[in-house]
Amino acid sequence: MTAFARRWQRCFARGVLVVCLQAAVWASQPGDADRMASAAQARGPKADAGWQALRPVLLAAIHQGDVVRLQSINDFFNRRIVFREDPGVWGQLDYWASPFEMMGKGAGDCEDFAIAKYFSLRAAGVAANKLRLVYVRARLGGPGGPVQAHMVLAYYALPEADPLILDNLISELRPASRRPDLTPVFSFNAEGLWQATGALSAGDPLARLSRWRDALAKARAEGFSP
Amino acid sequence: MSLIRQVWLLLLATVLLAFVGSIGVATTSARDLLQSQLRQKNSDNAASLALALSQQKGDAQLMSLLMAAQFDTGYYRRVQLRSADGKVVFNREAGSPAGSAPGWFVSMVSIASPVGSAQVSDGWRALGQVLVESEVSYAHDALWSSTLRTALAMALVGLLAACLGWVVVRRISRPLDVAVAQAHSLEQGEFITASEPRVLELKRLARAMNSLVERLRVTSRAQALQLDTLHRQLNGDALTELSNRSHFMFQLDASLQREDGPVQGGLILLRVMELDALNRQFGHAATDRMLVTIAQSLQPYAEEVRGCFIGRLNGSDFALCLPALEVVRETAQTLAQALQLVLPTLGSGAAVCIGAVEVHRGMKVGQVMSSADAALARAENRGAFAVEFGPHPPGVLAILGEGAWRQRIEQALGQPERVRLMEFPVLNAKRQLVHLECPLRLQLQTDGAFEPAARWLPLAVRSRLTASVDERALTLALHAADHDGRPRCVNVSPASLLDSGFAGRVRALLWTMPQAARLIWLEVSETAAVEHFELLRELGRQLRSTGARFGIEHAGERLGQIPRLFEAGLDYLKLDASIVAGVGRDEHRALFVRSTVGLLHGLGIQVYAEGVSDATDAVRLWDCGIDGATGPWISTLAVEP
Repeated sequence: MTAFARRWQRCFARGVLVVCLQAAVWASQPGDADRMASAAQARGPKADAGWQALRPVLLAAIHQGDVVRLQSINDFFNRRIVFREDPGVWGQLDYWASPFEMMGKGAGDCEDFAIAKYFSLRAAGVAANKLRLVYVRARLGGPGGPVQAHMVLAYYALPEADPLILDNLISELRPASRRPDLTPVFSFNAEGLWQATGALSAGDPLARLSRWRDALAKARAEGFSP
Repeated sequence: MSLIRQVWLLLLATVLLAFVGSIGVATTSARDLLQSQLRQKNSDNAASLALALSQQKGDAQLMSLLMAAQFDTGYYRRVQLRSADGKVVFNREAGSPAGSAPGWFVSMVSIASPVGSAQVSDGWRALGQVLVESEVSYAHDALWSSTLRTALAMALVGLLAACLGWVVVRRISRPLDVAVAQAHSLEQGEFITASEPRVLELKRLARAMNSLVERLRVTSRAQALQLDTLHRQLNGDALTELSNRSHFMFQLDASLQREDGPVQGGLILLRVMELDALNRQFGHAATDRMLVTIAQSLQPYAEEVRGCFIGRLNGSDFALCLPALEVVRETAQTLAQALQLVLPTLGSGAAVCIGAVEVHRGMKVGQVMSSADAALARAENRGAFAVEFGPHPPGVLAILGEGAWRQRIEQALGQPERVRLMEFPVLNAKRQLVHLECPLRLQLQTDGAFEPAARWLPLAVRSRLTASVDERALTLALHAADHDGRPRCVNVSPASLLDSGFAGRVRALLWTMPQAARLIWLEVSETAAVEHFELLRELGRQLRSTGARFGIEHAGERLGQIPRLFEAGLDYLKLDASIVAGVGRDEHRALFVRSTVGLLHGLGIQVYAEGVSDATDAVRLWDCGIDGATGPWISTLAVEP
C-alpha cells in the first residue's frame, strides 16, 4: 500500500503532460475508458464513485510490474468491497456480478471479488494466460476448522511456476505454497473461449448459457476486455 | 405477350422465388442453430473433460486413457491436450466419415465446428489446455435431410399455389375471352350479348359491352323496320299491302330470268267484275272490305309456297304467280270456288273471274301477260266465277320417277365432265371484278345440254341431294379459284342448311385449301335467311375462321323480316333484280335502294345488285352507292384489270 501511495505521488508530480501521455497509453491498452465511465454511471452513483476511485489505480498500474499491479488491485477491491453472500446482495442463490455491478452494491461474494480483480488486472495490462480463476476448498480458522467452497484468482508468472493468490479471505498477496488452507479443484480463464467463438457478440443468447460466459459478456459490455 | 401468359409468368416467378427463398432461409437458420449447438457442445465437453483431467493428479497415463475413452465414445473429430508451453502432449484425430449429404451441398453450406478449450491443472500447477472439436458430418447430414424435407414441403405448397393460381387465372381468362370474342363479333357485325362474369372489373366491362350491343341492336332494328315500311309504301298497294303493278312485273321478270328460278309455273289473274258499279252501289268502305278479303284469300299462297308472289295490278285486278305447273289449274279452280262462297256473305253481290296461263322459263313478261289477259277476257265473257286457261305449250322435260332423278343427278355429280360452273361477273363501279358468280350446271343426260339449277334443283331438294350438289360446286370453285386466283361465289341451297353436318363439312372443305378459301364467297337466298335464321348464323360462324365471305342473295323483298339480320355476321348482301330493276327511271325505287344501301353500309355489309339489264339502271345504282352489280348488261362489259 505504501508503495502504491508513493508511486501515485510520483505520478502526480510528473504533471499534466505525463497524464496526457498516460491517456494515450491507456487508449492502447485492452479495455475502453469511455465505455467503462458510462457503464459505471449507468450502474448508479456508488458504481460511479467506485470508477472514479479505480481509474487512478488502473492508470498507475499500467506502468508497473505485474506484482505491483496485483497488489494494488487486490488491495483496492479487498478494501472497498464488503464480503456478503449472493442471497443478501442479489436475492439469488448464486450470481456472478460484473465489476461495476459489484461496485454499485458495494458488496460481493468470492466469485465477484475474483471476477472484478481479473478484469481490472486485464485492464491494467496483465496477460490473460497468466491469470486463472480457481475453484478451491478453503479450510477456515486453521487445521480442523470448517470447510467452505471458495474461489480465488491465481497469477502464474510462468506456466509451471508457483502462482500468487489474490483472495478476499486473506488480503495479503501470497504464493500458493503459503496457502495451506486452500485446496485447488479446478481452474479456468477466458483463454480459448473467445478466440474460438470469434466475433461473438454479447447479445448472442447462447453465449450467456454459462455463468462465466455471462459474466464475461457483461464485463465486455462495461468496456473490459476478457 | 398475352395478358394471361404474363399473369402465369408472374405467378410462376412468385412461387419459384418463395420456394428458393424459404429453402434458403430455412437452411441457413438451421445451419446457424447447428453451429451454435456445436460450439456449445465443444466448449462444454472441453470444460467437463478438463475438470475430469484436473482430478488425475497429473498422471499422464490416466489422463491419456480418459481422453482416449472420451474420444472413442463420442462423435469427435479431434481431442488434444497441449502442455502449458504449447506443446502437443496428446492428440487423437478422426478422418472425415462419408456422410449422406452430397459434396456440393457440404461445400455450399459449410458448418464450422468451433474448437472448445478448457484449462487443465494439477492442484496449483497448470498442466495445459485441452482442445475438443466435434465431428460435423453428422450435422451436415441432419441439415441435408431437413433441407430435403423443406424442399418437399415447399414443392407441395408451390404446387398447391399453382393449382389455386390456375383456377383464378381461368376465372379471369374465361370472361376475358368472352369479352374479346364479343368485341370481335361486334367488329364483324354480329351482335352477341355476353353473360356477366363474377369478377368485378370484368363484370363492368361485360355490362358496358352488352349495353352497347343492345343500343346498336335497337338502332339497327328501327332502321330495318323503317326500310320495310318504305318498301311497302313504294312497291305495295296501300289498301291490300300486296305488290303494286310495276313491282309485280319486276318480280315476274326476275323469276323468269333467274338461273335458279322455276322452270315452269303459272300466272293466275283475278278480276273483280263491275267494280265501279259496286263502288257506286255500296260505297267505298264496303268495296274496300271486299278487296281486302280477296287479298287475304290470296295471301296464304305467298306465305306458304316458296317462290310464289302476288300483286294488285290495278283497282280490280289481282295476280298470283305460282312456281309449279301442276298446281295452276287446281289453284285457279279452288280460288274461284272459295270466293264464290265467301264474297256473297259480304252482302255486296260481288263476283270475280279468273284467267290462268302456264309460264315457262325464258318467256317474256309481255308475252305472259298478254296470254293471261286473253284468258281473263274469255272468263269475263263467260260470267261470274268463271275460270279460263291459256293455250298449253308442250312440256319441256319428260316426267321421270324420283328414283330415276336421284340416279341421274348422282351420276352427273360423279363425273367431272358432266358438271360445269358458269361464270357471271360481278363488277364494281370501276368495272373491276368483284367476283364471279358460279351457278352449277349439270349434264343430266349423256351428250345432253348442261341444265341450269332451275331444272334439277327442285328434284335435288326432293332427293335430299342439295348438300352434295353444293359441296361439289364449292370444290369446283375452290380449284378454279386456286388455278386463276379470281374470287368466286357459290350459292348454297336453303335445303342444305337443314343438313346438320353441312356447315362442318363446308368448313373442312375450305380448310383443305386455305389460300383459295379466301377467294370464296358463299351465299344463301333471303328466303332461307328468314326461315332458318339460326342455321344461317351457325354457317356464318363456321365460315368465319376460314376467310371465306358469307352473304345473302335475292334480298330486298323481306329484308325487314329477317330476325336480327344484323346479328348474322354477314359480309355482303345482293339485292334482288325485282328490287333494283327500273331504278334508272323510277325515283321512288331509287330512293329505296339508296336507303337500303345506306343502312347496310352502316352495318359494315357490302351491297350488290342482281339482274342489272340496262345502262340507265346501272348508272343510277352506282349513284346509289352500290358496291357492285351483276346481270345481263354487266356481263357484256369488258372487265377492267
